[in-house]
Amino acid sequence: MRGRSLVLLGLLAFVVVAAGVIWRRSVGVAQARTLRELRETRGSLAATEAALEGAIRDASSRARLARTVEERLGMRIPPESLVIRLPRPTPDAGR
Amino acid sequence: MRVSRTQGVHLVLVGFALALIARSGWVQLRQRARWQAEARDQQTVERAMPAVRGRILDASGVVLVDSRELVRIDVAPTEIRDRAALAAALRRVGVLDAFVQRATDLGRKWVELPGQHLATDVADLLAMRGVHPRRVIERVPPATAGLRNLLGVVDREGRAVGGVEAALDGALRGRDGRTVLVRAGRNGALTSPEERVEPPVPGRTVVLTLHQGLQDIAERALADAIAALGARGGDVVVLDPRDGAIRALASRRARPDATGATALTEPYEPGSTLKPFVAAALLDRGLARVEESIPTYNGRFTLNGRTIADVHEAPSLTFAEVMQYSSNIGIVQFAQRLSPRDQYGVLRDAGFGMVTGVPYPSESPGRLRPVPEWSLQSPASLAMGYEIAVTPLQLALAYGAIANGGELLEPQLVREIRDAEDRVTFRASRRVVRRLMSEATARTMRGLLRDVVEGGTATAADLAVYSLGGKSGTARRTRDDGRGYEAGAYTASFVGLFPAEEPQLVILVKLDDPKGAYGGVTAAPVTKAVLAAAIAARDGALDPSGLRGPPPTPRPAGEAEAGKVAASPGPVDGVVAPSGATGPVGAGVPPAAPVRRSEPPERPPVTFDLARPSRPEGVVDSLRAVPDVTGLPTRAAVRVLHAAGFRVVLVGVGAGPSTSPAAGTLLPGGALVRLPSAR
Repeated sequence: MRGRSLVLLGLLAFVVVAAGVIWRRSVGVAQARTLRELRETRGSLAATEAALEGAIRDASSRARLARTVEERLGMRIPPESLVIRLPRPTPDAGR
Repeated sequence: MRVSRTQGVHLVLVGFALALIARSGWVQLRQRARWQAEARDQQTVERAMPAVRGRILDASGVVLVDSRELVRIDVAPTEIRDRAALAAALRRVGVLDAFVQRATDLGRKWVELPGQHLATDVADLLAMRGVHPRRVIERVPPATAGLRNLLGVVDREGRAVGGVEAALDGALRGRDGRTVLVRAGRNGALTSPEERVEPPVPGRTVVLTLHQGLQDIAERALADAIAALGARGGDVVVLDPRDGAIRALASRRARPDATGATALTEPYEPGSTLKPFVAAALLDRGLARVEESIPTYNGRFTLNGRTIADVHEAPSLTFAEVMQYSSNIGIVQFAQRLSPRDQYGVLRDAGFGMVTGVPYPSESPGRLRPVPEWSLQSPASLAMGYEIAVTPLQLALAYGAIANGGELLEPQLVREIRDAEDRVTFRASRRVVRRLMSEATARTMRGLLRDVVEGGTATAADLAVYSLGGKSGTARRTRDDGRGYEAGAYTASFVGLFPAEEPQLVILVKLDDPKGAYGGVTAAPVTKAVLAAAIAARDGALDPSGLRGPPPTPRPAGEAEAGKVAASPGPVDGVVAPSGATGPVGAGVPPAAPVRRSEPPERPPVTFDLARPSRPEGVVDSLRAVPDVTGLPTRAAVRVLHAAGFRVVLVGVGAGPSTSPAAGTLLPGGALVRLPSAR
């Protein structure tokens, strides 16, 4: 094998190596893009989670609930004379 | 030698090749650094990575202030493919028509749309060609106005403006990072593992001593009182006298320019609420006895040419009654037993005239003039709470000394600071400034203050089951220009100690110019409303083990709660014109309608079976240990923590301990335990 065959082989090797490099680079870029999109999705979901948690906190806060239950359900904060704190039984109670 | 044409061409080609190799060598070897830098500039882009500002939590772990990532939308109209679809999508997310038209106007190159959106809400829009998102971090302010006043806000550039945000900016801000991205044509910029990245350091988490439940209760009680009494504003401070922790701090003003925590920034003349400190100094020094009588001249007494008046007209009063009925004549005469220097020292030692050190940028020191600046009237004025300006926090802390056995404490607003790995980098501890009075004197004063509520000027604050001590105060209001007093305008206040025997809370209520004026009939019921709601709450606002009221047969305090007050103002705290006035300036003020809500009728008793313990074993009083959930799946860990009586919040991926606080930590029931969701 001489002359033109060697040149052909060399060129072929070059094409194969170059194709490999390009393929590897394309895969890397695609993965980096996927990674970026996943990060953005994760950030968006974290922001949504924070927003929903904030909305839950706000909706379940005493400031919001107290007025609502008074207006809609007619409930009132009891005077302390109606609040009875039950004593905790001793460990041997009921035996 | 003759060179053929072919050889000539070869020589030229060889020469060209050599020149190319030489140039290549020159570029790659000699100019290597320069071209590398140029290539790097062309191929990469450096971006800042903003640090997420730290969260602010209340004492039980409830998030008060948080940050979140939002997107702003920019549109390049020339890149749009489907203008109608884009316009519809923009309208769906609430963009105004005027901006929709601009965004689809091909005559424009770039349009920045107003508003910030959650990325998930505008996901469809962001997928369209020509739409460019800009990510911004938004600071979500506290839900209530009172908390916003105290905690401050962050502007659009991320700078802290006022409040705790500004005072603790160094801890909350964090440190921005930077990253280098590889340009990738239409794909934008991509991260590369070969590029250097400096990750941002998130801000630290600040845990305050505030209790959100109490804060909500205080803010609502204050708002209701201001509305019911037509007051110009008011402040409520709730303090734990055992460690100086501020549990709630509500401020509200009718003035729109007052946006700060005025309980820390606006001093006022406290009036009769200052009398206990003069009284305690007299008892501590042995200059007066509780049962000692002093003439009070049927409510009118002239001293150094100034007539001092009492609302409670009596020929004489004991020391205890002087406190109970808030006699100006009595306290002025008793105070004469203190030298001006001693009197100044007493008030200075109580912390008046200097900042408390609470982390708030514009805390006022109040005003206490040194003795050389006093007039002949000053000792009497100071004994009645005039010629001195204190902030509500200063006064609450001074009452804290009466409550805790005589020690003036530093206020705590920050309980602890944690870094991004949840390690505690600062934890507040109880710090005694000085001893203000002996334990015996403090105990005596607590008894005297209980008499004020049970049969003195503040019966409107009386509770049916639990004992409350306190002192009311009514002081004339200085004019806004600082020249003299405003006719018919008063500052009404009440400072309560609850429960009176072993106080867990000091509650200061101050109302600016309420209808009804007297602190005992305007501010005292607000204290009662706060306490009733706190007792009824089951969120750890009060330590139940320390609330030992009488057995569950409440004394019939219905009359004490309302009737007494509604019928007559009864004994009220002394109001006096500070200088040169000739009569009780409070005369003619209509009695206030007490701030009360309709109460449900009595219901039949309910019987509970106490034989079965309702709490898990191992509970020490109200505290219990956080169980060890290391190695358990998240779902099982949550079950274990719930069974132990804790609330659980799942946080992001955690590399640290399995829970925060760590296993074994003693916490009150219902406390919040954080659990990494992927461990």
